[in-house]
Amino acid sequence: MDLQGQNGLMSTYREGWRNRNPAGIAAAVSIVAFYVVLYFEDKVTRYTGFAPLTGLAEAVGLRNRWYLYGFLYCLVMMAGAVYYLGRHGNSRYNRYRVGANVGVQVTLGFLLPFVMPLFGGTEFYASYFWPLKYDYFFPQTLQDLPVYMAVYTVAGSLVAAPILAYFYGKRWYCSWVCGCGGLANTFGDPWRHLTSTTARSWRFERASIYTVLAFAVTMTVLVAVDFFIGDAHPSFHAFVSGERWDDWSVKTFYGFFVGSILAGVVGTGLYPLFGPRLWCRNFCPMAALLGLIQKAGRFRIRVKKDMCISCGNCTTYCEMGIDVRSYAQTNESFTRASCVGCGMCAHVCPRGVLRLENDKTTKTTLPVVTS
Amino acid sequence: MSTHVVIVGNGIAGMEAALGIRAREPSWPITIVSEESDHFFSRTALMWVHSGQLDHRGIEPYERDLYARKNFTRVRARAVGVDTERELLQLTGNQDALSYDRLIIACGSAPRRGPWPGSDLRGVGHFITLQDLEWFEKEVYGAAVRERPPRADAHLASTTEDSPYLHRETATAKRNRPLERAVVIGGGLVGIEAVEVLRAAGKQVTFVIREDWYWPMAIDGRESAWIAERMREHGVDVRLGENVEAMLGDDDGNVRAVKTDAGEIPTDAVVVAVGVIPNTGWLTGSDIEIDERGGVVVDDSLTTSAANVFAAGDCASVRWHDGTQRPEQLWYTGREQGRVAAAVALGDDARYARGTWFNSAKLMDIEYTTVGQVESDSDRRADWFFEERGEVRSTTRIATKDGRVVGFNLLGRRWDHEVLIGFIEGGLTLAQALDRLHEASFDTEFVPPLVIPNKARNARSAPDGESA
Repeated sequence: MDLQGQNGLMSTYREGWRNRNPAGIAAAVSIVAFYVVLYFEDKVTRYTGFAPLTGLAEAVGLRNRWYLYGFLYCLVMMAGAVYYLGRHGNSRYNRYRVGANVGVQVTLGFLLPFVMPLFGGTEFYASYFWPLKYDYFFPQTLQDLPVYMAVYTVAGSLVAAPILAYFYGKRWYCSWVCGCGGLANTFGDPWRHLTSTTARSWRFERASIYTVLAFAVTMTVLVAVDFFIGDAHPSFHAFVSGERWDDWSVKTFYGFFVGSILAGVVGTGLYPLFGPRLWCRNFCPMAALLGLIQKAGRFRIRVKKDMCISCGNCTTYCEMGIDVRSYAQTNESFTRASCVGCGMCAHVCPRGVLRLENDKTTKTTLPVVTS
Repeated sequence: MSTHVVIVGNGIAGMEAALGIRAREPSWPITIVSEESDHFFSRTALMWVHSGQLDHRGIEPYERDLYARKNFTRVRARAVGVDTERELLQLTGNQDALSYDRLIIACGSAPRRGPWPGSDLRGVGHFITLQDLEWFEKEVYGAAVRERPPRADAHLASTTEDSPYLHRETATAKRNRPLERAVVIGGGLVGIEAVEVLRAAGKQVTFVIREDWYWPMAIDGRESAWIAERMREHGVDVRLGENVEAMLGDDDGNVRAVKTDAGEIPTDAVVVAVGVIPNTGWLTGSDIEIDERGGVVVDDSLTTSAANVFAAGDCASVRWHDGTQRPEQLWYTGREQGRVAAAVALGDDARYARGTWFNSAKLMDIEYTTVGQVESDSDRRADWFFEERGEVRSTTRIATKDGRVVGFNLLGRRWDHEVLIGFIEGGLTLAQALDRLHEASFDTEFVPPLVIPNKARNARSAPDGESA
């Protein structure tokens, strides 16, 4: 095993489709178009009389276009995983991480929700938690779910996820479990070097991601309040929970703007132009929340003293746009809220300067007893 | 009263000095004279720009607005002399001399040129400067495919014939067909980098090494055999113990072959990687003292023989831990020297003191860490050696002297040199060091730990000289 071989990275900037050439732009346009049709097919149908994805889903015997999407997602993710492991699979961390992520998504993210309704069960996505899966915290949803699922989603979101993030960093979710992260690290891997690393992009990230988090929390609270008083206050109910697309409510606006536009159309569609973690870095409320816990928790990236040669491989290949080099060259072990712990900075470092650790207290220099 | 600081060199030592001074003196005018580039970049990363793993912006450690933000004035010109009496730095072209209150010379290294006939042929070059990179990229790929750094040619208005920053014509363009094969001469780090990027481009490579094994300065025969094996696995024609005699050219002045004592090696290009020398030719004739290696002689406070003139980085000849005076051409010592030079220029009583030696490198895809004294000429030293051939392949060599560990030479795994320095400074015995070796492990998560069987623990090779 070549522990840290980088053969898979050598030609990144010599491959045009990975660097915003016409093929890269065409790829982005195609993915954007796909997501527009996926999310807004009813509108497409209204204007064209044609429902491409639903039609295709029915043709292949799937219940609706969302199952078709789940199926395509799994295929693309597995193909991406083959590409990823071909390039970076010489590291055990990369193999275990991507293997786990693909396994979780194919089973919990696709097979289980597909199979359970066949046996009269509820369609349930066990790999998503609030605030990413915000509707699982709506009182109506909790009421409708079987009790064990309701307990699972509440305890998972409020207890397990934060505790794991405290001890292992947000990577346990964002890089080992999550579907968005899983797609980014497989299908999106060819474009990871395109994530902006400027100070300006970091400022934008902080402003936008906490705005979305605040929006997600506010919406959850409003929907809960509406559950109890909505009947008595119809205008409040319409403002918060109105389901009609054409007169906006808080819920439909969040679903449209955050759920469809930012997570799907922009977050995934623009992989080939701005890197694969646009959504995770700038908009995901779950990443924002776990990031805050990570800052207070035990995960860090440790920097070996004085060994950095400032080459920039870590910064270039950080999919979250963290300027890792700025810490490495100043001997500063660090924890950044946005770090999803993909491990690529440590993997590509030609001097072995970086290491992901679950313990902030390890001293850089261990005491040596004079014999 | 403001003090004008002039820094010759935009590399790691010069940039650290500039940042160090700016951190304490927001208003001092700081002028950085650079012939090579507008932007500070990591010279150690040139190979990745060549292969396409990084782009030019990627190897620049700071965003390009750094000079504006820090109020550094940049001059793209070649310095040609110092008038220490009038405190003037002379430049070529129609550039006015710069008057300084403090002068920091951090002009780095230039490639050592090959001594062989035909070394001036088209297609023969080096891999040290940004301009070398551009030549080498064009030679291999026919063109530099990515965006060039801004104002890549700004220095051409102010340079001299002997500058290491001139652009070179490629033999590939003249020959009008793509490069198929190349020869790399010199068994050191830049040589193996040139080999690696040529293989990444799918070219045939012959690596000509004068010594009996690759990089004898740092690694021993057993370690080097593995590196050579790995190079051959990657399709490199490794020639050991072969001496270059001449470069042979065709009628157009393009190199066509390298002649060695073992025969002729046909080639389309040659990378000469036989080391670097301080880039100090321009100081000849000034009254700044230069030693026989070309280094600017400095004392422990990095002050030269002239008042208010300091030197840092590759061009400075500093006192080593072993008491000798010579240039120390490493990235992190350049950075440290830049910091010390800044402090001294600010009036501090700072001293440059190198602790226990350490370094690291990557040889093809094998990582290398060294700490302490492992050179084969150390007297009364014995080596303990272990080669791991499991899921991980690695070698561990621990040098001892008078029963205490004095050095580590480690290939294939990652180690925290600071812990190993602690072992040496703590005076551990070999047995103690082996017991505690795991404390220094820096491998990524899930890598199986190094296990040293008892049998191997107790094996001792004979003192050096007998075992080699």
